[in-house]
Amino acid sequence: MKRRDFLKLGGIVAAASAVTPASSLLYAGKTTTSAIKYGLVIDLTKCDGCGECATACRIANNVATSPDNEKINNYWLRIARVKSKFPNSHEQAIPLMCMHCDNAPCVHVCPVKASFVRKDGIVMIDKHRCIGCRYCMIACPYKARSFVFKHNEGFSNPDVPKTMHGVVEKCDFCVTRIDSGRMPVCVESCKKGVMSFGNLFDPESQVSRLISSGKVHRVREDLHLGAKVYYLGL
Amino acid sequence: MKIYWTTINGKSLGMYFLLGVLAILAAAGLYATYAMFSQGHYITGMNNQIPWGLPIVVAIYCIGLSAGSLVLSALSAVFGQKEFKPFARIAVFVAALFLVGSLLSIVLDWGRPDRVMLPFLYLNPRSIFSWNGFLYSSYIFICIVYLWAMFTGRDGWIKPMGILAVCWAVGVHSGTGAIFGFINARELYYSPLASPTFVVAALSSGTALMILIIVSTFKATGRFLDNRLITGLAKLLGSFIMVVLYFVIVEYIVRLYTPSTCEPTRFVLFGGNLYTYIFWVGLILLGSIVPAIILFNPITKNSIPWISFASLLVVIGVFCERLIFVLPGQIFPLNLFPDMEMTSSFMDGQITWYQVSLPEIAQGLGILSIVAILYVIGLKLFALLPTEARHLEHEL
Repeated sequence: MKRRDFLKLGGIVAAASAVTPASSLLYAGKTTTSAIKYGLVIDLTKCDGCGECATACRIANNVATSPDNEKINNYWLRIARVKSKFPNSHEQAIPLMCMHCDNAPCVHVCPVKASFVRKDGIVMIDKHRCIGCRYCMIACPYKARSFVFKHNEGFSNPDVPKTMHGVVEKCDFCVTRIDSGRMPVCVESCKKGVMSFGNLFDPESQVSRLISSGKVHRVREDLHLGAKVYYLGL
Repeated sequence: MKIYWTTINGKSLGMYFLLGVLAILAAAGLYATYAMFSQGHYITGMNNQIPWGLPIVVAIYCIGLSAGSLVLSALSAVFGQKEFKPFARIAVFVAALFLVGSLLSIVLDWGRPDRVMLPFLYLNPRSIFSWNGFLYSSYIFICIVYLWAMFTGRDGWIKPMGILAVCWAVGVHSGTGAIFGFINARELYYSPLASPTFVVAALSSGTALMILIIVSTFKATGRFLDNRLITGLAKLLGSFIMVVLYFVIVEYIVRLYTPSTCEPTRFVLFGGNLYTYIFWVGLILLGSIVPAIILFNPITKNSIPWISFASLLVVIGVFCERLIFVLPGQIFPLNLFPDMEMTSSFMDGQITWYQVSLPEIAQGLGILSIVAILYVIGLKLFALLPTEARHLEHEL
């Protein structure tokens, strides 16, 4: 083989290796089915916005905390206060967290598939794969995601991963608790029984019964994201 | 007419001085980047409300300059404008360099740049970033093959490579616009016009920057430059400015008209804040109207200093356009409960200003300096410049 032919061959191989990954862009990801799909129903008529769920969430999940700088203080669960624009209107406390969408925009935009929907419907982040590009934070309509801006030394709960500077974190329905048969910490910590967590596919579950009442709504249903956090009395 | 290509001498005092200044800026940028990772990203102006700041603006701006300058080289190879052939090599080279700059800016903006290979290992077919990772890297590859074809005199390759490069440039820029245009959650991002606007803004800023680069490089290296070539490019630039302006006007009028997007649009256009001034003064007045007057006015349209000034204004104006595109969409709060008032300890429902920080500015300048250093070194190593740039007309 002449030198020129060899170089040509090398060029063809290089070009082919640049083009091959493109072929994997052409077909969409496959969908999986499962007998379990977790969901959460929040009864706003019982919620007074005490914030105990938010505190419990912060401790149980090692959420990156910067008390001195509220702009980089991360939230997995927050209590929003919402009222109409008319005077003397009633202010409603609404706990907000990741809505665990079936069509999650954060999962769609993630360039490395670090964000993914687990078979049981929980949207999770692989912190060891996340590159920290923050595109998911741009795409999420619920502002459910926070970036870890700073290396945090202490951690309050040794059972879940520590925060990691440079990656994105968010509510994962306390997945380690669910997998050991317990409830998410926000559900457990609420003394007023505002939140119910369970399998949406099980017709006997508390969440299914509340949803079948027909009085539940989700935040920004107009976006068609298939959110799995429902609100009674929204 | 045969074009003779040469390298630059690159041994003058001014050259060493220029390289020295650029090296200091690049070092400062690298140090700022190091500080972001050793101390944490809280030292930047970004926060949980505004996850994308100046580095993303710089990145998409560099991509625009890249795609625009590549089209310039294709003018001679693809669109039959043979008189622009003297600029063919330098335009492709600059296109590749700015793509390197934009990739640097994107990767150094990540929280974990050490995971730079992961986007190539785990492609996500629904992610615009995944597509862009593929488009950008293959674009550099195409530029290199295109340059190789020009350097080795493979005339049969030049036209097909030029066509491929133009298509790829359009794809690269549509992909960049799609990063924002596909985001349904944010009223000021979601738009089918985002990709075309990015393409035309790229043409406009890329042509303007190439005029500046060509005029300054030819002057600095004492090469003859035919004024008619620059006025020819200036004519193109004038029409690109008009198209950008038209796209911007259409986009903002639709947004003002629609009730759901009216409020954030009014915040940008008539809010009396920094972005109002960036829009009206930076983009509309200095970035579009003044250069258009200069480029269409019979007194100034053939004057090289005036054209250079107009090009400088366009380069700045398109940077303002990028700022207006990236930042207000994050500063204006997400609308979780339409028509309601919302507050929380997580800054819901409030406007959070982006205060650009010194490390981000240093990083952006550093990356532009690295591009400039590579440009100078490239001129020294490769025969990118013609000995003289004459208009072909009297030869043909």
